[in-house]
Amino acid sequence: MQYFKDLTEIQQMILVILGVLVFATTLFWIWKKMKPGPQVDELMTRTKSWWIMAGIFTTAAVVHPAISFIAFGLLSFAALREIASISKNARLEDRSIIFWAYLAVPLQYGFAYMGWFVPFLILIPVGMFTFIPFLLVLKGHTQDIARSMSVIPTHLMLTVFSISHLAYLLSLPELPHFNAGGRGLLLFVVFLTEMNDVFQFTWGKLLGRHKIIEKISPNKTWEGFIGGLLSTIVAAYLLRFLTPFTTIQALGSGLLIACMGFVGDIIVSAIKRDFGLKDTGTAIKGHGGILDRIDSLALSAPFFFYYVYLICY
Amino acid sequence: MKLVLLIFIYKLVMPVLLKIVGVRIRNKGAYHGQKQFIVVANHNSHVDTMALLSSLPIRLLIKTHPVATATYFGKKKWLAFISNLFVNTVLIKQKDNALQLLEQKLKKGHSLVFFPEGTRGKPGEMQAFRSGIGVLLKAFPHIPFIPVWIEGTGKILPKGSFLPVPFEAEVKIGAATLAKGVSVEEIVVEVQTAILALRGRE
Repeated sequence: MQYFKDLTEIQQMILVILGVLVFATTLFWIWKKMKPGPQVDELMTRTKSWWIMAGIFTTAAVVHPAISFIAFGLLSFAALREIASISKNARLEDRSIIFWAYLAVPLQYGFAYMGWFVPFLILIPVGMFTFIPFLLVLKGHTQDIARSMSVIPTHLMLTVFSISHLAYLLSLPELPHFNAGGRGLLLFVVFLTEMNDVFQFTWGKLLGRHKIIEKISPNKTWEGFIGGLLSTIVAAYLLRFLTPFTTIQALGSGLLIACMGFVGDIIVSAIKRDFGLKDTGTAIKGHGGILDRIDSLALSAPFFFYYVYLICY
Repeated sequence: MKLVLLIFIYKLVMPVLLKIVGVRIRNKGAYHGQKQFIVVANHNSHVDTMALLSSLPIRLLIKTHPVATATYFGKKKWLAFISNLFVNTVLIKQKDNALQLLEQKLKKGHSLVFFPEGTRGKPGEMQAFRSGIGVLLKAFPHIPFIPVWIEGTGKILPKGSFLPVPFEAEVKIGAATLAKGVSVEEIVVEVQTAILALRGRE
């Protein structure tokens, strides 16, 4: 009975996601028939990528947990590889040290899978933060060494530490009277973060006047941000059946996800500007790069994780 | 036997390794309908040879030979044996009538993978082309060259390193072209221009 109930909540959520995607796909398809143009083409390729992402995330949430850990690990690996490749801040001499940085991926996801919370927590911010500068010192190229010491652990924080919190949601202990469990929380935070991006984009297109930070992200407006924030809070309220939250806590989680999604987004935008790139890669078509897709998740995932952890566990 | 080995390495193992390491191969369709050709690419890493061989269709794999210098790969007998068995190379010495060996292969209807820089340069840098490619294409005007631009492999496995590290890299294959130049120098410039033209292409 317990198992059956749990299954239905997840299934409900998958239906919601499916519904949103079908709606978006039909909408853009009709739009293209009525008024073809480059903007709708862009939106259509974006929806295609959402189908792929939704496929990956829902499969990861439904299939055997081990598969989800591997899937998220690969995502972190690809994101780390992407940022290591485009970064102009890591030196050529750092390549053998970056090899060791990749080692953090299996370790971090291994800890997440085993549910070893403290090792999971300290591996990157304490362990790699020490290990990488130490290796750099042993290598002995002192020119610009301080830059490499700070940049490589930061790459790990942004791509591995952050995303691994999505996986750890699946290792959280079971709570009484909370059936959706870690899988529900995972779908909740990923779906809301992605929807927040869409809401911000849509409200910005409809009402956007006042730019927030024109130098970093010219498309971000106060109208878009606030519209997105309110929409995401409403969505969090509607989807609270996926979480153990009370109504107030659910509204708060929506606020948190919207704000941190925004902050992650502009941080990655700023990094991209520094590297002189518009899109960080070409991995997911229309979305230009893995980093571009996980930018808002990179902060919303750990913040949401500790929000749930502190309130409910 | 060698064919099975080459298929196993370049069609099964190598594509997975290249995927993990982050090498993307663009426009494999360029080989479509081609029987004999000389692949010409810039050279930064041993990864280049691996990527180019695994980009080939199975039917061409056994008949395509990367050209390598005997001064490096022929230094020890076991190294020469291994590079012949696993990489299907033809080893040439840079001094004596080196191109004769290559001409033999071309006369047999085989194809070549050629790095006109002669050696792996520093990561991200292309050195001046040597004249060998011009001599070959002049002697075999009916054989097209396939220009390839390779970017990023120098970071994965640069000269002098034995530890491959994952970084994104790209192998862009261009269209098979018959050399138009009359003199050796003209052909060399033509090939170089064709490779550099791929650089900015999507």
